[in-house]
Formats: sequence, C-alpha cells, structure tokens
Amino acid sequence: MKQEETSLEGALDNLEQIVEVLEEGKMSLEESLELYERGMKLVALCQSRLQNAEKRIECLTGELPSDLS
Amino acid sequence: MTQIFTVSELNSRISDRLEGDLRLHDLWARGEVSNYVHHRSGHRYFTLKDREAQISCVLFRSNGGALDFEMNDGKNVLIYGDVTVYRPQGRVQLVARGIKQDEGLGFRHLQLEALKERLAAEGLFAPERKRPLPRYPERIGIVTSPQGAALRDVLRTLGNYPARIILSPAQVQGEEAEKSIAAALLALQGRSDLIIVCRGGGSTEDLWCFNSEMVARAIFACDAPVISAVGHETDVTVADHVADARAATPTAAAKMAVPDLEEVQEALKYTKVRMMRALWTSLEKAEDRLGHLQHALSARRMYSLSRDSRQRLDYLSQRLEGAEAGRLNRHKSRLELLAGRLGAVGPQETLLRGYAIARSGKSLIVKAADVRPGEDIELILSQGRLYCRVLECRNDEEAML
Repeated sequence: MKQEETSLEGALDNLEQIVEVLEEGKMSLEESLELYERGMKLVALCQSRLQNAEKRIECLTGELPSDLS
Repeated sequence: MTQIFTVSELNSRISDRLEGDLRLHDLWARGEVSNYVHHRSGHRYFTLKDREAQISCVLFRSNGGALDFEMNDGKNVLIYGDVTVYRPQGRVQLVARGIKQDEGLGFRHLQLEALKERLAAEGLFAPERKRPLPRYPERIGIVTSPQGAALRDVLRTLGNYPARIILSPAQVQGEEAEKSIAAALLALQGRSDLIIVCRGGGSTEDLWCFNSEMVARAIFACDAPVISAVGHETDVTVADHVADARAATPTAAAKMAVPDLEEVQEALKYTKVRMMRALWTSLEKAEDRLGHLQHALSARRMYSLSRDSRQRLDYLSQRLEGAEAGRLNRHKSRLELLAGRLGAVGPQETLLRGYAIARSGKSLIVKAADVRPGEDIELILSQGRLYCRVLECRNDEEAML
C-alpha cells in the first residue's frame, strides 16, 4: 500500500479518486475490477481505522491528570 | 502689521478653529468623572480626567435622557460628543451627546487596540494567511490547563475520533500565563497537524493573557493550523484574531477539529455503493458486447450453455477475450460471481412466460421428428419438470402456434 494511503485522509482521498475513475467508466472490465478491489480494501482500511476507538492521550510535560489517563 | 483682537473676537476665532476641525467632532473620549453637578436646569456639568489631564464636559438635558447608569464622581465613562469652546469663559469643553459606563479597563484597552492595530498591519490577522484545517487530523495538539474544564470538554467532544491527542500543558491564567502558553505552543512544533489552544470562560482579567503579543506571535509561528477557543462566545481575544480558526467555546473547537464519525461512516458506506454501482455498469457494458453473440447462438447451444453457467461463462469470456484482446481468463473466477446474474438472461425468463423445454435424454426436442410415439420425454417448466410419454408425432404446420 502506498504511503499516502496509510493516513486516513490519504486513504479517503484515494478512495474518492477511485470512485470517480470507476464512475467515469472508461476502463476495461479487468481494470475496473482491479480498481474496485483496491477501493473495497481502502474502505475496509478506513472503517477499521475509524472503529479503532482506543483513545491515545499523551502529555508533553508532567503527568496526565488521573481522570484522563 | 500687528492685529489687535477684542477678547470676543479672539474667542470666536478659537471657537471657529476648533469647531471647524472634523477630528474634534463625533469622537469618543474615555476618563474618570469628577466635580459632577446635576444642575436644576437638567444639564449635567462635570470634569473628565485621567492621571495627567482634564477637560470640562457638559451633557445638556436634551441629551441626558438616555443615561443607563448612575453618574457620580469617580465613575469611568466613555463619552461620545464634540469639542466646543464656551466663549464667555474661553473654555474648551467636551459637549457630550452620549455617555456609557466604561468597564474600568481604560488604559489597557487602549494598549490592546494599539497592539491589534500593529499586528494587523504586520499581517498577522490577514485572512489570506490563515491555513485550512486538515479534514482528518491524525495528531491533535491541545494547549490548555490539564486541570481545566476546557480540556475535558474538548476530549469529550473529540470522542472516539481516532487521532493521537498530545496535551501540551499551559497555565492559562495569571502572571506567567502568556509565557507558559507561548512555550506550550512551541513545544508542539513538529508534533501535531492541528492545534487547539483553549480555556474556559472567565472574567476579562482572566482571559487577558490571550491578548498578549507573545501568545499572538507564538500562534503565528506554529507549524500546524491553530484553532483558538477562549472563554465564551462574546470574548474575542488577540489570539482569536491570529489563529487560523476561531471557535466560540472549547467544545466548538473540538467539533471544528474533527469530522463527525457517523458522517464519515455513512460516506464510506455510500462510497461502497457507488463503487458497486460503477462496477455493475462496467459489467453491463461487457454483457452488452456479448449480447449479439448470445443471439447468434442456437437454442440448443443456448440451452446447453445456460444449463451450466460455468461452461457458458467460459465460452463468453473466451469470446470477450477475442473481442477485447484482454486477459479475462485470469479473472474468470471473478466473472463466476456473475453467473447468477447471467442466468437471468437464460431460458428462465422464457419459461416464466409459459413456454417449456422439451428434452429427450440429454438432447433437446425442437421438432416432432426428434422423438417417436411411446418415447419418454421430459418437460422443463419454470418451476419443476414433467415426465411424459409421447402419444403421437405430427409433423404438420398447424401444430405451430
């Protein structure tokens, strides 16, 4: 997977492009299928990122107040 | 030649000069009231002063009705009016047309206005230098007090949004606040792609550190866009002017910082639908290309193909390969997904309209001569089959429908 796809923003941008190309419909069936598969992978990637609800708070100096850590 | 004035002439001349100066009209002046007299004529006389100077003031009865506070000595006021000369006494005075109570910040406010002007002139507030906020920030820096409610509001509002949150603690009140805030902003250098600097509501005094030049310059120097959220809706500080975005409250800042998770999820779902739809369109186009091939096939071959989708797909994909010079074979397995869909254009539709497929053994019966009386045949209907025995084979034309 390319660098820009590892960030949520990159993945969503990429996805948007893929959908646009797919909707243009100028590609061969084979290429469309490949793009579709890539798009679906990106959707899954984004969804898993969004569902990763683990909150990560760090504090640059000192301790996090106990109610936040 | 020396001109000799009478006193009246002199005062007239002074008066003309002052009253003809537009800069001395429609002005605001700020100061403290002293020697206040509410004359029985209804006019009010007093002196407006600051530490170094004073000026006589008068509020005539016709203008005095709208005072919304109690005037008395020692009160800080803002006066709207014009400078005139009281000729009988040669006295310069400020004729008030409106008086508002000053909230008591006097000098500091003037300083603040001067700072704002200076920073604006330097371009720190310029709309064109404001950076857009990232749509999906991955690292959110927060500059605020670790103990404050503002931080909790922000964290609660960020909710489950999957970003790293980097708290850069700062004192947001008191003597050391401005240094502390500036240092905390600097500490986030290279560590975040969006910064929220915030504190909850408080008195103007409490929020004053956000009016400091040091904080303004620190915000300006940040390498990530800054959202400022200081106090409540009505409190607008210098920090708010310099920041790339201003939020009315810390909660609003957090809302501004990240997209609504549910909306993103919905958008993703819709993206999926769009992709599927687009893919179906592509598949349908491919199918259309095959359409004429299907028509060219005999009923017999058509049937034998549709009996076995796999076999038929092989055939179609071969033809498509020839037509497209593509390498569809590699994707045959994917195309098999279409089997069900392709089945829809097979005999099923025809059968539904009341036709039947007659079959003897493995071969189709397409004319009477294909079978003999007494032979067992099979009729395939849209649902189910009939096993029948032939009574008679008639070859005449009338048998046709």
